[in-house]
Amino acid sequence: MSAVEHESHGAGHGSGEPTRQRSILMRPGFVRAAWCFALFFLVGLYLVAGIRWLAGWDPVYDWNIIVLVGGLTLAPIGFLLGLGSFDYWLYWISGRPTIPDDHANHGARTWKDYFKVNTDHKVIGVQYLVTTFVFFTLGGLMAMLFRAELAQPGMQFMDTQTYNGLVSMHAALMIFVFIIPAFAGLANFAVPLMLGAPDMAFPRLNALSFWFLPIAGTMFLCSFLAPGGAFATGWTSYAPLASDQPIGQVFFNMGVQWAGASSILTALNFLVTIITMRAPGMTFWRMPLLVWANFTTSLLVVIATPFIAGSQFFVMFDRVMHTSFFVPAEGGYVLGYQHIFWFYSHPAVYIMILPGFGIISEIISVMSRKPIFGYRLMAMSLLGILVLGFSVWAHHMFVAGMTDWLRVPMMISTLLIAVPTGVKVFSWLATLWEGRIKLNTPMLFSLGFISMFVIGGLSGIYLASVPITIHASDTYFIVAHIHYVLFGGSVLTIFAGIYYWFPKMTGRMYNERLGKLHFWLTFISFNLTFFPMHWVGLVGMPRRVADYADRFADLNLVVTISSFALGASVVVFFYNMIVSWTRGPIADPNPWRAMTLEWQVSSPPPIFNFDEIPQVVGGPYEYGVPGARHAILTSTTAPAAQEVHG
Amino acid sequence: MTGLGIVIAILVTLVAVLIPWLPTSASEEMDRIEFVYWFATVICIAVFALVMAVLLYSVMAFRSPPEDESDGPPIHGNTNLEVAWTVVPAILVIAIGVISAFVMSKNGEAGPNPLNVKVFAQQFAWRFVYPDDNEVKSGELVLPVNRSAKFEMESADVIHSFWIPAMGQKQDLVPGIKTRIIVTPTRTGVFSLVCTELCGVGHATMRATVRVVSQEDFVAWVKERSDGGGGGGVSGDKAAALFADAGCGGCHAFTPAGTTGEIGPNLDDLVAAAQKAGQDPADYVREAIVDPGKVIAPGYQDGVMPPSYGETLSPAEIDSLVAYLTGAK
Repeated sequence: MSAVEHESHGAGHGSGEPTRQRSILMRPGFVRAAWCFALFFLVGLYLVAGIRWLAGWDPVYDWNIIVLVGGLTLAPIGFLLGLGSFDYWLYWISGRPTIPDDHANHGARTWKDYFKVNTDHKVIGVQYLVTTFVFFTLGGLMAMLFRAELAQPGMQFMDTQTYNGLVSMHAALMIFVFIIPAFAGLANFAVPLMLGAPDMAFPRLNALSFWFLPIAGTMFLCSFLAPGGAFATGWTSYAPLASDQPIGQVFFNMGVQWAGASSILTALNFLVTIITMRAPGMTFWRMPLLVWANFTTSLLVVIATPFIAGSQFFVMFDRVMHTSFFVPAEGGYVLGYQHIFWFYSHPAVYIMILPGFGIISEIISVMSRKPIFGYRLMAMSLLGILVLGFSVWAHHMFVAGMTDWLRVPMMISTLLIAVPTGVKVFSWLATLWEGRIKLNTPMLFSLGFISMFVIGGLSGIYLASVPITIHASDTYFIVAHIHYVLFGGSVLTIFAGIYYWFPKMTGRMYNERLGKLHFWLTFISFNLTFFPMHWVGLVGMPRRVADYADRFADLNLVVTISSFALGASVVVFFYNMIVSWTRGPIADPNPWRAMTLEWQVSSPPPIFNFDEIPQVVGGPYEYGVPGARHAILTSTTAPAAQEVHG
Repeated sequence: MTGLGIVIAILVTLVAVLIPWLPTSASEEMDRIEFVYWFATVICIAVFALVMAVLLYSVMAFRSPPEDESDGPPIHGNTNLEVAWTVVPAILVIAIGVISAFVMSKNGEAGPNPLNVKVFAQQFAWRFVYPDDNEVKSGELVLPVNRSAKFEMESADVIHSFWIPAMGQKQDLVPGIKTRIIVTPTRTGVFSLVCTELCGVGHATMRATVRVVSQEDFVAWVKERSDGGGGGGVSGDKAAALFADAGCGGCHAFTPAGTTGEIGPNLDDLVAAAQKAGQDPADYVREAIVDPGKVIAPGYQDGVMPPSYGETLSPAEIDSLVAYLTGAK
């Protein structure tokens, strides 16, 4: 068990670092990152210009290519190099002395340590969450901007290209650099602790995966500065429209590569961690469901993400290298893009919800003071969703003109996904039954999630049915459905998870009254914003339109006003988080009296998580079972383990 | 709890029934879609009411104060229940699937004596051709009532999507392949056709008018359009037909043609605009058709009008359009 390897480094970390003090220009950090960024951009610039000059192509300085090679590929690598992401590996490759157990970059002592390449999974988890919430805020503000435009028919504040750009950017930020990595952040923090491991399997790789993320998000945002404006083809970026758009489109193509690489590396890290670093006694059937959920999600990520990477490369190659993947006049196949894109992007929907299922399972069980109902079926249903999730992608293409015979099988497999999902919902309900329900903020968000996700799941049944989808696809009904599953589903679980683990992450307690206020404001304004969209879509309003027929005006005004309230509700959350993090009351190690391992250590946990190796002896949710234990820790840092049934 | 479930079910049913969720059907296909929609809705109301009743009842009945440190009963599962909530939903969704497949197949069959219509889409205009009716071309879609229309669709540039909300049917138009769909209108009136696949800057306004008329009116319309387009030489009638065929009126208001589009500039005062720009009206209008991005009228956007009219229209056709638009006969 690798859990043993790091056990005795409590005092020794940092001592292996050479004491020679380098100048600020050469030290890993933002200064070195800045000049490396510029240097690598120039290398890219002259690489392109040099080849073009040698080949005699005109113009020598073709900025379409220079931006792609220098700006979007090499410069970010320079940034990472300057920041220090590759230092250890480069030292090792070049034969300079390295210390495998060098923990100089592990843990956070001051706030500045959060802005470094840090190898501590707990620090990385917080880095992920803070970064993703920056993008969440920006994406939300953009939604409010285009909702303002949609308050009335006609064009008021912006032209249609700007509108399309805002819509596309909103979705790209929320999907690629908010929901997916926010779950990676929560799991980064919780999974090694829950397994009884000192860290992730590959801490340096973990740090690198995180730093891909601000690059991806910044790249998306920088497309606003490109001539012709931001990418404006929706987050689906269908070819051939995406092939002949202004250069902002390339920022999307490449941003997805960086975000996707981040996802894949993190998922590999989770898989290896979960498979090899479980504490003694932690069999697969004793793992908490959050670990199961991230195990399944990581499999989805590793298998599916290369497909979207490919689809974006193909579109970009059509543009910059004049290939003809999706150019019908030259033998290309337009629907090929959609098949490849959705082969990732449908499983991506599960990538964006399964970790949420895991969070909800933890909270529902702990706050109901009962074992999770049907633990094994809960784990198996995750695997069921994993397998079925790869056989449903073409339900996004029922009106796309694909081969007819695929419709019925894809409809049936899509409908069948309701079965494992239903198993989860019914099992949560059965867990509530006869429990001792604590209605605190994480629980409110969990119950809110179940209600909203059931609505999103049921509208999914409509969309699985081919005849109904033929009417409803590409309308606001889709927008309503996707927000019920991604906001009512994923975002509510992210909020639930943050409130649940906030005391463990920060060592302080959030304000319960503000948390409940945040929930109710979000819950009400969310429904007022998105429920009317079902209606406006079914009666005839297409999605992604900057302007609409006058008869939809009243409903759109309601939606716009509610969306501003929804935006305002997030302010309560931020206020609560910031004030509680700095001045909140000190939290107990185990305020929820939970059994899983992360609650058996101090808040925040010791730098290597466990001062002794936990011995796992039972299931993770044995509430109400007399004398039952999940794990045995004898040390004084975990008094709560004895209190559970004391 | 049963009472709670019934109350929730009644409330949700009221929401489902009182709000007119779907447009008033105007086609046989939409009638069938409505049937599946209501079949699914009944099942969904039952499921939602059950879930919410259990959830709300649990919160009310089993809520415990923070200071209560007792645990609930250690129930780990119940095989019968777990089998039930795996099997029953599976049966329900498969029932929806079977009905959907049946309706899908019915909606793919045309009635007797169908009307063939070719649909051509480009950024950001629709054109319709009636191959069995003297190759009549039109910028508005005219259909006879109670007769299936078989659409064969092509796109010249990017993906568009054909949808008449009141008639339910939708189909993408994909460059490089031909796609097909069948619509059987059941009532006369004026409807709108909208593009539902994001196709660029003018996507939101890529709409066309659909007029469903009686079979006699349809025959009369075909005859009128055939005569109008049949005369030789550059006549005003031919130019008017061309104006309609090319879909100009979809975006531009032009009094002689009776169009009121607001997406592009009004074409009534082109001569005055040309004089203001210090250009010969004929050259000014020709340039605006062939190279629409060169001069953009204030308040309008570049890139909305297709730049391809210089290629898709013959020089003679452009001449006649220019003459028509500048008021010269």
